[in-house]
Amino acid sequence: MASEYLVEVQGLKKYFTKTSGLFKKTEKHIKAVDNVSFGIRPGETLGLVGESGCGKSTTGRTILKLYEPTGGKLLYNGEDITHLNDKQMLPYRKRMQMIFQDPYASLNSRMTISDIIGEAIDTHNVASSTDEREHIIASLLQRVGLMKDHASRYPHEFSGGQRQRIGIARALAVNPEFIICDEPISALDVSIQAQVVNMLEEIQAETGMGYLFIAHDLSMVKHISNRIGVMYLGNLVEIGGSDDVYCEPAHPYTKALLSAIPIPDPTSEKSKSRIILQGDVPSPLNPPSGCRFRTRCQYCMERCSVEEPTLHTINGEHQVACHLYDK
Amino acid sequence: MNNEWTRVTREEMTGSEATRKSLTYWQDVWRRLRQNVMAMTGLIMIITISLLAIFGPMFSDFSYSDQVLAYANIPPRIEVTKITDDHYVYVHNEFRLIEVTADGELIGIPEEIEKNTINRYITYNIGGNEVKFDYSSAMASTGKKGSTATEEVSNKMIDKYEIYVNGSPIDKYNAKEVSNKTYFLGTDNLGRDVWTRVLYGARISLTVGLVASIVNVFIGVLYGGIAGYEGGKVDNIMMRIVDIINSVPLLLIVIMLMVVIEPGLKTIILTIGLVYWVGMARLVRGQVLSLKEQEFVLAARALGVSKGKIIVRHLIPNAIGPIVVSMMMAIPSAIFTESFLSFIGLGVSAPEASWGTLANDALGGIRSYPYQLVVPSIAIALTMFAFNFLGDGLRDALDPRLRK
Repeated sequence: MASEYLVEVQGLKKYFTKTSGLFKKTEKHIKAVDNVSFGIRPGETLGLVGESGCGKSTTGRTILKLYEPTGGKLLYNGEDITHLNDKQMLPYRKRMQMIFQDPYASLNSRMTISDIIGEAIDTHNVASSTDEREHIIASLLQRVGLMKDHASRYPHEFSGGQRQRIGIARALAVNPEFIICDEPISALDVSIQAQVVNMLEEIQAETGMGYLFIAHDLSMVKHISNRIGVMYLGNLVEIGGSDDVYCEPAHPYTKALLSAIPIPDPTSEKSKSRIILQGDVPSPLNPPSGCRFRTRCQYCMERCSVEEPTLHTINGEHQVACHLYDK
Repeated sequence: MNNEWTRVTREEMTGSEATRKSLTYWQDVWRRLRQNVMAMTGLIMIITISLLAIFGPMFSDFSYSDQVLAYANIPPRIEVTKITDDHYVYVHNEFRLIEVTADGELIGIPEEIEKNTINRYITYNIGGNEVKFDYSSAMASTGKKGSTATEEVSNKMIDKYEIYVNGSPIDKYNAKEVSNKTYFLGTDNLGRDVWTRVLYGARISLTVGLVASIVNVFIGVLYGGIAGYEGGKVDNIMMRIVDIINSVPLLLIVIMLMVVIEPGLKTIILTIGLVYWVGMARLVRGQVLSLKEQEFVLAARALGVSKGKIIVRHLIPNAIGPIVVSMMMAIPSAIFTESFLSFIGLGVSAPEASWGTLANDALGGIRSYPYQLVVPSIAIALTMFAFNFLGDGLRDALDPRLRK
């Protein structure tokens, strides 16, 4: 079954259960990801933004089945991979990889760089001989801008940016078709951020991979993404082409988010009207009924507390989940 | 150099870059451990004790089971009394004479001519001289205790006897204390060499300590690793089992096991190993629980690395510091437990010796021959000291927070 999308997520749910009480067990669900659907085409970058704790990373990790999804479907090239066990999942792990947020925690400090990258090569039998293995490691290191004699070193001998490059080399080692970038730049210096993002773009241009780019730096996301999805409290509230979302944000939350981007010009920055949201993010343990954003939304209507909005197409690919746009 | 302004090639730039040899984790640990004086003292002591335990008995003139009843209970320092110009004796606490050389080497028991146990004297023939060893005053002084209240009753051995050579008394105070040349640390109550037995005891005690803690680590790491990595229900059940084992005094379990299974070296190792792993299991579980949420483990899972490989290659190497420290601390505690079990009679059986049995054997004669207890006690204390300091030093050296 062929599909337009390389990776598709349909109604993905990930609930974490919290049990309390010794004898009378009560179960509460933290709805980290609730009914999220989107797709990523080959060679495309989908940016996923949202504030901390809105379920961006959980979505990424659930797609790779690092967390077992509670509900919904994961499709890879149209094949359902939701209920595959570890062994059946292995060929898909060669095709989907992940780059992690913290370059200090994502590399095992007891392994040399060649061991770290070599682990990926060995697990998927990419190399047929030790010579080839070494050759692959050397070329990967060069690809990400490191030297091949760095292979015998340990992670603590590298800077944050260099470590992130090693993490990227590890993800590239198995020649994946799709990479989830879980806030790959948020732990780096601004100067290094640009280098890493440019490198990711170059690699994409060379190999035609799909990216799911999770971040909270909005300008960086706009720079790298073809399309952007906005998440709030486990829900996808808006998705569309990156220019559409940026220039004509539809959802009140997206508007508020975008208004927070500083403009590097004092006069226009001053005249800019910032939408300041009232209150805090509600607890995902017990989210508001209906629209999850209604507690902080200035356009809140009666209908919002009763009915949960679903994604509606407003213009081409631009979809938004808000009752304001229901026709 | 024709032109000093030629462009530097990329190879020239990178080629001259000074590359420091990268230190592996253990090289780094060793570098830090070396700077710790106490830890190095401990390490040197452990090496010395181990070498003595392995090779010491080979160089000893006696075996650990050789008995010479005539030489029983001779201390490491002996008083040598001059009889004639070239004959010296050591007056044994058990009221007999042993012929020695002037510098403290034991020659033998002199020939007895007459042994009168009623009038309390023994006559010896030493080098043709008739030596009368009269110890009647010893009994007299204790017998007359009540009546001679004013007179201080002396407990000193030297006041309890007289020596007559060919009928005339000699100056018994003309004695000098020398060290025992034959038995460097004296003999025990069966005339066995204490030094050899302590060395032999070190073999057993160190073996027990080492093997038992290896068994501990093996079971503990495996059990804790699985419990921590699996988490959830498996973890819950496994840790409740640990709680149950831990809620019974461990020593009690060991003692009961020792009673059920027949005592011996293997049994001690087995029981200590089987019971004391719970601490290790808890420690490893805690470490694994915190490590398995780290991103490098997620990265390995995202690559599809198998569970076993993740535990062995990622989790345990990162938890190795606390494991090594805990093992270092487990060794003295196993030695101590073994000594204790031997001391209460559940340890190795005679004639084999461990430090605990040596201390136990010495307990009977503690008033007269305290050295027999002191020697194994010092051995235990020094070993505990050494392992504890090395363990402490390792904790500092392995702690990543101290890494610069």
